[in-house]
Amino acid sequence: MTSPIDLLQNARAAWPFPPRHARVNGWRMHYVDVGQGDPVVLLHGNPTWGFLWREVIPPLVAAGHRVIVPDMIGFGLSEKPTREQAHSLDGHIANLVALLRGLDVANATIIGHDWGGPTGLGFALANPERVRALVVMSSWAWALPPSDFHTRVFPWRLMHAPLVGPYLLGRHNVLAGRGVYLSVVDRARFRERAQAAYEAVLPDTASRLLTWTWPRWIPLDDTARAIDRFNWIEQGLRAWRKPVQIIWGREDDVFDHPTFAGRFKTLLPHAEGPHLVTGRHFLQEDSGPEIGALIGDFLQRLGSA
Amino acid sequence: MSGVQPIPAPPLAGTRLAFLLAEDRVGHYPEFRAFLSRTFDLDRIGLAAPGYLRAPSGGAYALVFVGRSGESFPAGVEISAVVPALEPLDEDVADRDLWAILRWLVEGVGGPWTVADLDATGRLYRIGAAEARG
Repeated sequence: MTSPIDLLQNARAAWPFPPRHARVNGWRMHYVDVGQGDPVVLLHGNPTWGFLWREVIPPLVAAGHRVIVPDMIGFGLSEKPTREQAHSLDGHIANLVALLRGLDVANATIIGHDWGGPTGLGFALANPERVRALVVMSSWAWALPPSDFHTRVFPWRLMHAPLVGPYLLGRHNVLAGRGVYLSVVDRARFRERAQAAYEAVLPDTASRLLTWTWPRWIPLDDTARAIDRFNWIEQGLRAWRKPVQIIWGREDDVFDHPTFAGRFKTLLPHAEGPHLVTGRHFLQEDSGPEIGALIGDFLQRLGSA
Repeated sequence: MSGVQPIPAPPLAGTRLAFLLAEDRVGHYPEFRAFLSRTFDLDRIGLAAPGYLRAPSGGAYALVFVGRSGESFPAGVEISAVVPALEPLDEDVADRDLWAILRWLVEGVGGPWTVADLDATGRLYRIGAAEARG
């Protein structure tokens, strides 16, 4: 059996990118900024961090792009607020606005997975002059209806219910550990190469706060806190005319591709895709290089258009 | 069924409250807040005193309720073990007691929230206290 230290070393070896930090919106944000060219911004969701994109970054750099990969405030190597009230969808969009304006990003491709979707799309719609194209994967951009998975008491709603969330996701870190493990296709490979990297950056109960806070921001009915922002995002996308690419995990059972990739395609009929790749919700763990190649090809076509 | 019972305030001389769990948003699903409010008569007692529970280990646990301006009371709740002042916490016992308290909570909230689903969730995520129950 591989020791925990070996597992962490495996993960460390897969993350050669030099750390950078910026002060954004009152918080310390860690990000990667490698390569040269038009920027590509890779946005993770819950409960991951930039590590999710480790196999997507190299082909994009090799294809001549500047790749920027922030860790959301509350995750990865970024600062982790210790009160639930520190987090909101608007606040996370503002964090991203601060980073990308600070870097004076222009002609950017914004790529969002999971909560990186609404966050990145919020940035794009508020700063369209800085954005060249969008890529969405295993995410959503509207208030209702929620996915079937998110409406079920077992396991989703119970997992983050009052007091249960802080116990399961806080004390026992179940989302970053077994939760991601259950949402990849090749679980043995994930355990060997990646799981330790997701668990290690959330070492203590307080550091895991956002893992049970984000689920509480997913709208389940019309009383949800972020309902106006999601409606704004959906309306903005209906009017979006710049290039879009849709990539989805064929086996995603959180946001199933017929429903969710299909709805993105309806919302953005000019979008390319959906391209289906091997992957459950965390599709980058099973198909990272393929996703990097798909995005690289998409951007190359844009460049030659 | 859960082995957890509300109790009057236990003798606190020579003890301390060992902090275990914080919930900033106990009304995220309002029925959870309603159950705690009903159980501990919080509309009458307010912030005057914590609620206390006896857990399966025999230990007492304090529920300290938290108010936030503009929100229904309680907005949050903290759970601490009542332990001998200078003795370290037995973490395994506390974790099993917390699981029992969650089962008591879910059973009391009722409706779509069931102990069977909580236990299944605990087993899915390999929580020791849940797996010990088979």
